[in-house]
Amino acid sequence: MRMLEKARLRLRSLFGRPNADFELEAELRFHLDQLIEENISSGMPPEEARRAARRTIGGLAQWKEECRDMRHTNFVEDLVQDARYTIRSLAKSPGFTGVVVATLALGIGANIAIFTIVHGVLLRPLDYPKPDRLMYLTAESPAIGGARNPLSAPEYVEFRQMNRSFAAVGAYSTGGAAYTTGEVNVTAGDRPLRARSISVDAHLLKALGIQPERGRFFSEEETARWTGTLPPPVAILSHELWRTAFGGRPLVGQKVEIEGRLHEIVGIMPRGADVMDNGTQVWLPLWLHPDTARQRGAHVLYVIARLKDGVTAEVAQTELSAFLENWGERAGTTVHVPMKRPLRSVDHTLQLRALQDAIVGNASRPIWVLQAAVGFVLLIVCANLANLVMARAGSRRRELVLRAALGASRGRLLRQSVTEGAVLAGAGGLLGLWLASVGVRALIHAYPASVPRTSELTIDLPVLLVALGLSTGTALLFGFVSLGRRRTSSMATALKEGAKGASGAWRHYARRGLVIAQVAFAVMLVIGAGLLVQTVYNLTKIDAGFNRSRLVTFSMTLPMANSDPDTRAQAYQRVLDRFRSVPGVLGTVAMSGLPPNRTPDAIATPIENYTSDDGRPVAIIDYYQFVMGDYFGTMGIPIIAGRGFERTDNASQGKVAIVNETLAKRIWKGQNPIGQRLRPPGWSFGANDDVWHTVIGVAKDVRQRGVERPAGTELYVSLDQHGVSPPSMNVVMRTTVPPAALSGTIERVVSEVDAAVPVVRLRDMDSVFAESIRRPKLLAQLLGAFAGLALLLAAIGTYGVLSYMVAERRREIGIRVALGAARFQVLAQIMKQGLQVTAIGAAIGLAGAFAVNRLIASLLFGVQPTDTVTIVLVIATIMAVAVVSSWLPAWRASRVDPNIVLRDE
Amino acid sequence: MGKPTDLVQGTLDLLILKTISLEPKHGWAIAKRIQQVSQEALQIQQGSLYPALHRLEQQAWIKAEWRPTETGRMAKFYSLTRSGRKQLERELANWARLSTAINIVVQEA
Repeated sequence: MRMLEKARLRLRSLFGRPNADFELEAELRFHLDQLIEENISSGMPPEEARRAARRTIGGLAQWKEECRDMRHTNFVEDLVQDARYTIRSLAKSPGFTGVVVATLALGIGANIAIFTIVHGVLLRPLDYPKPDRLMYLTAESPAIGGARNPLSAPEYVEFRQMNRSFAAVGAYSTGGAAYTTGEVNVTAGDRPLRARSISVDAHLLKALGIQPERGRFFSEEETARWTGTLPPPVAILSHELWRTAFGGRPLVGQKVEIEGRLHEIVGIMPRGADVMDNGTQVWLPLWLHPDTARQRGAHVLYVIARLKDGVTAEVAQTELSAFLENWGERAGTTVHVPMKRPLRSVDHTLQLRALQDAIVGNASRPIWVLQAAVGFVLLIVCANLANLVMARAGSRRRELVLRAALGASRGRLLRQSVTEGAVLAGAGGLLGLWLASVGVRALIHAYPASVPRTSELTIDLPVLLVALGLSTGTALLFGFVSLGRRRTSSMATALKEGAKGASGAWRHYARRGLVIAQVAFAVMLVIGAGLLVQTVYNLTKIDAGFNRSRLVTFSMTLPMANSDPDTRAQAYQRVLDRFRSVPGVLGTVAMSGLPPNRTPDAIATPIENYTSDDGRPVAIIDYYQFVMGDYFGTMGIPIIAGRGFERTDNASQGKVAIVNETLAKRIWKGQNPIGQRLRPPGWSFGANDDVWHTVIGVAKDVRQRGVERPAGTELYVSLDQHGVSPPSMNVVMRTTVPPAALSGTIERVVSEVDAAVPVVRLRDMDSVFAESIRRPKLLAQLLGAFAGLALLLAAIGTYGVLSYMVAERRREIGIRVALGAARFQVLAQIMKQGLQVTAIGAAIGLAGAFAVNRLIASLLFGVQPTDTVTIVLVIATIMAVAVVSSWLPAWRASRVDPNIVLRDE
Repeated sequence: MGKPTDLVQGTLDLLILKTISLEPKHGWAIAKRIQQVSQEALQIQQGSLYPALHRLEQQAWIKAEWRPTETGRMAKFYSLTRSGRKQLERELANWARLSTAINIVVQEA
């Protein structure tokens, strides 16, 4: 009952507001009249009685306010009133409002965008059940700088049997040893298309804990039997490929042509299911060539394992260490087994890490750097706003003091200014959210594969909470700053001083401090951006070892299933021959791995008269390059010793090979490499036997695994001499015409040779290079944009503070001018103030940059974090910006007319 | 300003509830009545009386209605509600306990 009554009363005071107000007024009026009457009846004249009554009562308005407060409805009322008042007053100063909302939107937007990435990529758990139980097992060869390599098949099987810590250990491959190269030709309807593929074993899906959405998964029988020449013809499609290429029609149990062979579709994966951010569209049963499956030197399998419940990662790590102590004894061999302390170049060890870390990999540092950068930007934005608000509070002092005098409590005024902050921050936050969602989408669109896990990026609840937190924080900061020191200021002085506003030393220092902080943060950001821009420049200027101008490339695959090595070689030969007669094409060659960004082969290769560190006549060669045509001539790779492949070699019996400089140095150490012999395994390129090859030349190093990485060892074999070919080849043409003009011809030539083979990744070599440096480029662009924003904001901050200072000191300047100070002296003095503040900020920023520069050191290439040129340039830029932003206020000060100023006073 | 610092904390509510427990009264009459009964010892500040009345009304312990005074003017008369009567009993009991306790302490000392 009472609750209801209370609710009714509150609603009445809230909505029946005019009525309640009127009643209150009447009630208090009645009291006043009674008092007057009493005064009159005690003998006072009416006028005096009235005055005395009013004196007794004091502020009627204040009473009313207190009565309203008692009704507890003021909070809501005030909020509405405050909001209305705020919007009105903000609308009256559109300049202020616009600047505040725009800077807030940029600051908050940048933060939300980057936090979306931080959250979506780094923090959000993987999309598997209990993802924190998943671990990734890799082979590491520290002696030659090999990291995160796959395991050999025997190692994988041994580990799966030995371990006691994991509930399931599974393997996958996207490499050539497992039948595909991570991509397959799929025929959907009449159009061939190229799809991302992965070869997985039954254990892997058990470890990941994912189930096909329809149909079944591969049986152990289908994935563990590494015999015969081809894997079992079954496949699982991703939900996405099933929808887009097959229209979602019932497909389980039907046959689809994959790599030229009919495969039974046994299942469809659930939406978004993937392994290691592979973008998998076709899942195939893991199958290894029997030779590969036996070889300890063939590192081909990536291993994912799920910890048993109750077993920690540390326990698993300890167990692995114990295995590494005596792996050889357990496996019954000493040849190429993982060991605890790999010292020699042939040695390797195994390492466990959390799967999420493995997926995110080295993307995590750039992302955190960006997050720190936008954090700085937001701090600068806040400093700027604090400054703006202080300036505005200065000019609104009189208004606020007047309201205080009329009975507004301090809390009420604070609430008003917080409301103002909330309205501004709310608008800025919403606009920022919009900017962020547009920005993130544009980013993913522009750089689809530069950041892992982007397919799952959305602005979700945690991101929204952060956005809300940022906006609320800014709103509160706002309110407090703008009210700031009201407490200590005496009403009377403030009212007397009027709109001019007395600004104490505190405020003055605070505003300078804010500008110094802004400049410092801006300097740090600009230095970071400068270093990254130089990094990108250095990367684009790297000599990858070949002449990349006017090269057009595409790749094609003649499936293993319906072609043998000889017919493939003939088909490629026909393609190359036809291109040689196309006008504008100067030379056409084919190669197995496209530099400067290809996967390493790491093939154990017997070498004559050679003993490796572990006493065997075998070396692991990083890259095998199988070539067709005048490879070195067309690619522009210099032969530095001996000769290149020649047509006469094709007919000769003795097989020949060419090595790169690094291989020559590492294997033959100063001896003449020409005439030495090595024996590349025939399975690696489709030949039947392993035969000895004689080295006829040494080629200059070519970058293979990213332009920034030093070249590895590389062996060139001429397929023209062998008359065989691996399934996938890259065709490269040196042309006089752009690739777009050639695309029609290329499609036609390839379909004439084999209509079922799609042309993929047709582009010029410059875009291949651009792609290989896209991540540093993306980082440099984003950081550059944030640094530019920071610089702009710092400039606005400097300008604002100086303008305010000039406005404040107009009188003083006027007097000095009247007493004979020259205009340029005034100008120089104000400029000096601006430059001083900037110089202090720059010095602090520089110190800050030195303090944190090791954080970005690993992201740089060819430039030191303490690069003098960058620092000098940045300081020069900052000072130039300071000169520009100080000049206008200083010039204005120098134009002060003493007559006007002094008359005003 | 206007806080009843001269009254023991919370006793203003008790005084108001007690004063209107016999018959409905308007604000002015409540103040006068307390003043008279206490032989001018308790001066109720108008600045605290009306907020207190509104607070009590908001608590639904008292209710208000507009009706004419003896002189015919309209005034807002406050009277106890049922829950207000219970509240008065509680407050009286509290007060009795408190004043007894204070008396004991004061006399002992």
